[in-house]
Amino acid sequence: MTRHPTTIDDESLIAALRLASGSDPVPAQVTAAARAVFGLRLPDADTARPVVTSVPQGVRSAEEPGLLRFVAAGLTVELEVTSPDGLVDLAGQISPCPGAGTLVEIRTPHLTESRPLSPTGQFAVTGLPPGWFSVVCHRPDSFPVVTSWTRIRP
Amino acid sequence: MSDQPVIEAILAGDQAAWDALVTRFAGALWSAVRAYDLNPADAADAVQGTWLRLLENLHTIRDPDRIGPWLFTTAKREASLLRRRHRGERLVADPVDTEHARSAPADAGHVHADPVLAVLTADESRRLWQAVDRMPEPCRSLFRLMATAPDAGVRQLAGRLGMPSGSYGPTRGRCLNRLRTMLTTREATP
Repeated sequence: MTRHPTTIDDESLIAALRLASGSDPVPAQVTAAARAVFGLRLPDADTARPVVTSVPQGVRSAEEPGLLRFVAAGLTVELEVTSPDGLVDLAGQISPCPGAGTLVEIRTPHLTESRPLSPTGQFAVTGLPPGWFSVVCHRPDSFPVVTSWTRIRP
Repeated sequence: MSDQPVIEAILAGDQAAWDALVTRFAGALWSAVRAYDLNPADAADAVQGTWLRLLENLHTIRDPDRIGPWLFTTAKREASLLRRRHRGERLVADPVDTEHARSAPADAGHVHADPVLAVLTADESRRLWQAVDRMPEPCRSLFRLMATAPDAGVRQLAGRLGMPSGSYGPTRGRCLNRLRTMLTTREATP
């Protein structure tokens, strides 16, 4: 068997020692949450991947809202992230604007909020818990588009 | 053993196949992210993100035997980002790493190259601690303490080892280097 020990970093060694000692078992709720992730699968959806925006991606100064952009074939989802009170507010723009009857779902592992898309392609949701989220765009005449899971922490 | 049937079952919507994968890797992923000095809440966050990413990218994993390394690399990346956040970097969302999802996990490391995955077998786990037992002090005690007290702070660990707090980090680094060399030498022996 070919091995490449040079790839072993400190964290991997520490993890291996702890795992072998069995003294830090994985909490039951962590395993339960991992199983529950499967309920979030969208097999028919196209994934919109994150792209770098003009504002340095992932960096936030005190006043500037975070701007995230996700691109799939033929569809762009832009999200402005603000967190005035420890919870997460999202204001979104989908372009080009899909037809009437488009529904947007804002998903976290714990809850899903649905919003009809405005005629100009906008939607908003407030008061989300910090953590992982994803936005699904359900178009009446095409497959859904889902943004790559992203973690937001105020 | 190939994971191809597992991947196909999961892609077909088989929750039991997913659950089996979770059971197989949950412990290794937990240890992997906890090694980044994450508290339990952040560690849970990193692990959950890892599974979300797998669900999102499973159909792109070409080599079915790479699920383990893929999960592991992804978990380490999430944990590393969380640690950076705790060190004072303000990130509203994590930096875009578009290369990651496609190439990095598949290319990073080799199957069984990572000790955390190797330790999933009882034999490897025993051999790792046998290597520690051959080490001189303070390494032997340091590793035992580090492994059994995952939530202890540096000051507490240093105190129990009878060394100044400032010495703990450098000593741990030297001990890890030594252990790494021992493992490397062992692997090079036929």
